[in-house]
Amino acid sequence: MTEFPPRVDPHFDIEEYDPEADLMALNMGPQHPSTHGVMRIKLFLDGETIVKAVPYPGYLHRGVEKLCEKLTYVQITPIFDKHDYVAPMTNEQAINLAFEKLLGLEVPLRARVLRTILAELQRIASHLLWLGTFTLDIGGTIGGGASMMMYTFREREMILDLFEALTGCRFHYNTHCPGGNRHDVPEGWETVVKAVLDAIEPRFDEYEALCDNDIFLVRTEGIGVLPPDLALELGQTGPVLRASGVDHDLRRDAPYHAYDLVDVRVAVDDGCDSLARYKVRVAEMRESVRLVRLLLPMLPQGPIVGSKPIKSLIQFKAAAGQVYVGMETPRGELGTYLIGGGDQRGAAPYRCKIRPPSLHAMAALPYLLPGHFLSDVVTVLGSLDPIMGEVDR
Amino acid sequence: MSVYEDLQARFDLPEVPPEGEPALVDVSRHVELAGALKDAGFTMYVTVCASHFPSVTPKVKKGQEPLPPTVEAWEVATVLRRPGPNSEAFAWRVRVERPVVPTLYELFAGADWQEREQYDLVGVIFENHPDLRRLMMPEDWDGHPLRKDYAIDTRVAPWR
Repeated sequence: MTEFPPRVDPHFDIEEYDPEADLMALNMGPQHPSTHGVMRIKLFLDGETIVKAVPYPGYLHRGVEKLCEKLTYVQITPIFDKHDYVAPMTNEQAINLAFEKLLGLEVPLRARVLRTILAELQRIASHLLWLGTFTLDIGGTIGGGASMMMYTFREREMILDLFEALTGCRFHYNTHCPGGNRHDVPEGWETVVKAVLDAIEPRFDEYEALCDNDIFLVRTEGIGVLPPDLALELGQTGPVLRASGVDHDLRRDAPYHAYDLVDVRVAVDDGCDSLARYKVRVAEMRESVRLVRLLLPMLPQGPIVGSKPIKSLIQFKAAAGQVYVGMETPRGELGTYLIGGGDQRGAAPYRCKIRPPSLHAMAALPYLLPGHFLSDVVTVLGSLDPIMGEVDR
Repeated sequence: MSVYEDLQARFDLPEVPPEGEPALVDVSRHVELAGALKDAGFTMYVTVCASHFPSVTPKVKKGQEPLPPTVEAWEVATVLRRPGPNSEAFAWRVRVERPVVPTLYELFAGADWQEREQYDLVGVIFENHPDLRRLMMPEDWDGHPLRKDYAIDTRVAPWR
């Protein structure tokens, strides 16, 4: 067990800091290119070392939770595409899992297996985008800096093409509905998926070879150390939690979709730093390729919607009830706390609280940043993989 | 023996876990229950959800005695999780007629931002919270948008 430095108090009074020190307050953002959206971090610097960090989210707040109270269960799904615009597929699935639990709907096996395949493909696409932007964030660690991003976007395009063939959209698919999926697999899709996986898999070795250089290691090793107990207290999930050495993955530990049919190998790393988060994400991409290969032959024949086809906006009605459903998206546990019985017809939720993994990841910044140099802020921020649309909703 | 059975007698929970919604706990036992769950392995702070139940007058049929209006209330639901294989989530609610609930910040550092967000949007005040500021809305915003009496088309002055 490694020794961790004592926990930072994020609320300590900056006035109590050494009066001799020449402190400087620096605003990073809200339009800083490395903040992955609009996010302001107020930094107190002693020389170039961060003493205190105060993040200010909320610049992208669009009041989605209020909007959900005004729409019916059928209308809400497409809004969920737009929080996490890097992984819309899994976001749709998360809200529909909550609806299905509240409404008591059964999902046929074909839709469940298809959803699992889509979730794993989306995980690869999301992690690819993360890898590209992360290496760009830490600036020219591999030759020109942007070369890795070009490579990962090339592979991500292949997966977006697969989604386009299935749903007709490159983004914001709206392919899930309460009780099943809207679009069935087109003819020959499985063959294309297999070809894409065969093309992508050897490239992971190339990425690792590119990132295995001294500059990348110096920039990431020991930067942003998050001890496991603090990670759990802060509600970290997904790769951030697993890179802190906690063996927890909802796909294996609380299976949904068709994850009970396959054996998910969870990637864990004890490094607790930015390098560990990189390692976990690359390992997860390999695991996702393996899972899709396993699941493709398991896709059974049958219907993809359990209930009657959707003809009316108020088709699904639920009395009052409260459920919490969490699901493992590429960024971690995306949960929905849902209270039913919103309008007189019962077709809208009364309250829909979204639990975004990125918001919890951002809450770790005041603990992670103090003690690091200013240039490490983007490394720590990038390694947490936040999507501001999801943080602010 | 499940955690629910363990805690059932200690915290006056219903004998059978209520179907479809988390159990109600008295607000005075809120922090104690969270501590007991943390000791029982529920170390992951998942989420907190506050909701507003305004005072409404129940509708009655013609000729019946009118019923008194319901009491305005707030509910705060908290979810904790036990990480690792066979992970399990535990949720409970507290219902208060005055929007004041003790904070869980001392037990879970993650409660900091989550409770700030609920304070911001629903207006529940978390007692003893070290830094209860707005999280999502601008600091000079008027009202709490997720309250049921806050109309979705409320006109606001342009902000800065």
